[in-house]
Amino acid sequence: MGFSLFANLAFNGLITGLVVSLLALSITLVFGIARFPNAAAGDVATVGAFAGLLGPLAGGGTLWIILCGMAAGALLSVAFYFLLFRPLAGKSAVSSLIASIGMAFFVRAALTFFLGHDQRVYPLPIVRAMPVGPLRVQPTDIEIVVAAVLALAAVFSILHLTPIGKRMRAVADNAELARVSGIRANRVLVAMWLIAGLLAGLSGTLLGVKTVVSPEMGWDLLMPAFAATILGTIGNPVGAVLGGVLIGLAQELSTPFVGFTYKLGVGFLVLLVTLLIRPQGLFAKNSLVR
Amino acid sequence: MLSYLLAVAVVALIYSLMTLALNLQFGFTGLINFGVVGFFAIGAYTSALLSQAGLPLELTLPCAALAAGLAAWPVALLSLRLRIEYFAIVMLGYAETIRLVISQEEWLTGGVRGLPGIASLSVGLGIPGDPTLVAFALALACVVGAVLVSRRLVHSPFGRMIQAIRDDEDAVRALGKSPGRFKVAVFVVSCLFVGLSGGLYAHYITYLAPDQFGALLTFYIWVAMILGGAGSVGGALVGSAILLGFIEGSRFLHDLLPGVSAVEMSSVRLGVIGLSMMLLMRFRPQGLLGGKAGCG
Repeated sequence: MGFSLFANLAFNGLITGLVVSLLALSITLVFGIARFPNAAAGDVATVGAFAGLLGPLAGGGTLWIILCGMAAGALLSVAFYFLLFRPLAGKSAVSSLIASIGMAFFVRAALTFFLGHDQRVYPLPIVRAMPVGPLRVQPTDIEIVVAAVLALAAVFSILHLTPIGKRMRAVADNAELARVSGIRANRVLVAMWLIAGLLAGLSGTLLGVKTVVSPEMGWDLLMPAFAATILGTIGNPVGAVLGGVLIGLAQELSTPFVGFTYKLGVGFLVLLVTLLIRPQGLFAKNSLVR
Repeated sequence: MLSYLLAVAVVALIYSLMTLALNLQFGFTGLINFGVVGFFAIGAYTSALLSQAGLPLELTLPCAALAAGLAAWPVALLSLRLRIEYFAIVMLGYAETIRLVISQEEWLTGGVRGLPGIASLSVGLGIPGDPTLVAFALALACVVGAVLVSRRLVHSPFGRMIQAIRDDEDAVRALGKSPGRFKVAVFVVSCLFVGLSGGLYAHYITYLAPDQFGALLTFYIWVAMILGGAGSVGGALVGSAILLGFIEGSRFLHDLLPGVSAVEMSSVRLGVIGLSMMLLMRFRPQGLLGGKAGCG
């Protein structure tokens, strides 16, 4: 177990971590503004990944795969806001949570009913990995990093530089005060679910580019993403991203010690330890919700 | 046909045991257990492994209940420290982790290949007669016992306390009572039921594998409980019967619709459970029989 092994694991962890970050950012936006843990986020990511398979029909390359996935994620997310989560808004967070698990099952059932349980891969050319120092880097790895970083930059610009972003932060900070200040909650929520869907769709397609597309991929990504959300303080976008990267690194770097199967449990372990030691997360000071 | 109905009824009773337990936890106390299947798996594997090690079923079944109760204890303590949404997520992860351990620790559980040849209830207990009938009688006895215990608990001072905790925890604290002890007690005691249910299941099906313990089973139980109405003991039984009627009915539907494969039918089951969770929350959170609590 030399240095290059760990360097490569850390690099892979960074990429997995960015994928987790995108989903965690989607979850933390919903948690901060609609105030419930959205268990359907993972399966929205799965739908995005499957929609990415349509990419080659629209045009070649990773870009079209990503765009198709993001569009599908956004459509699904906004549709379910209107059909399901808006009517549930006045009830307890538990109702919305149970409904979101129902949505996750329903969406996955629809996918497997029509498309089966087979794993699929995107029709991308297979390229030999380039050696960069001790690292072996696939060209798709660079595309994933670029796409994730651009998306994160776009979301932070929206949150901090646009009027709708300011309103979103206002609603997250104090929904009542935002309402009496004349902020229309409905528009904020549509914008929020749109962004949440785009992020989940992106996360799914990027995971599909890195590995394979399968009906369970999103559900398996959910626990690390929840862990990242809570580790980074619920409702805190910067925290969600850092939490995601930390969890990605922890998962990959633990592989030589705990094996491939238990890697999936690392997310849960981080979640548990965080909740026991510091339930408010690492970045509680400048969080959007207290 | 009669023997088929009997076989379905055994599974319905095994599920009812879990629904009764979840009803005590959520319906009466407001504790969100999204990890029911984890305790069920612990009960099932404990009883199966102990019986394969040579212990009689009279011992392994109580051990199944105890093991699930022991596994529930630390988690119950955790519930005191966490907000309910956080606790719900933790329970979801807990059950997935238990399944991960079962599929990984091949030396103990047989891993993904499964654990075949578990002693059946009639052989293991040395009761002669139709094995399904023996299983039915035993499961029925357990459910009757669980119903009696539930009623007894709910209508006692203890029961009034847990319902008060569900309705307004701060008020309970203001009266000088500590909700924590009650919550832990309810969580652990109901997980004993779940563990026993798992033990019965192991010796009824006689084969265990990790894929029988997916998150879907937890939400079968949730749907059964909400259908019957959270906070209603009789409702838990009705809800489980409706649920099993649906799961088994979907098998008949599969025979009637020749174009639909068995794999597609499993997608249909998943989809219907998902849809009913959404519709129940949206339109009838108090369930069909409508207990006082509901999920509103």
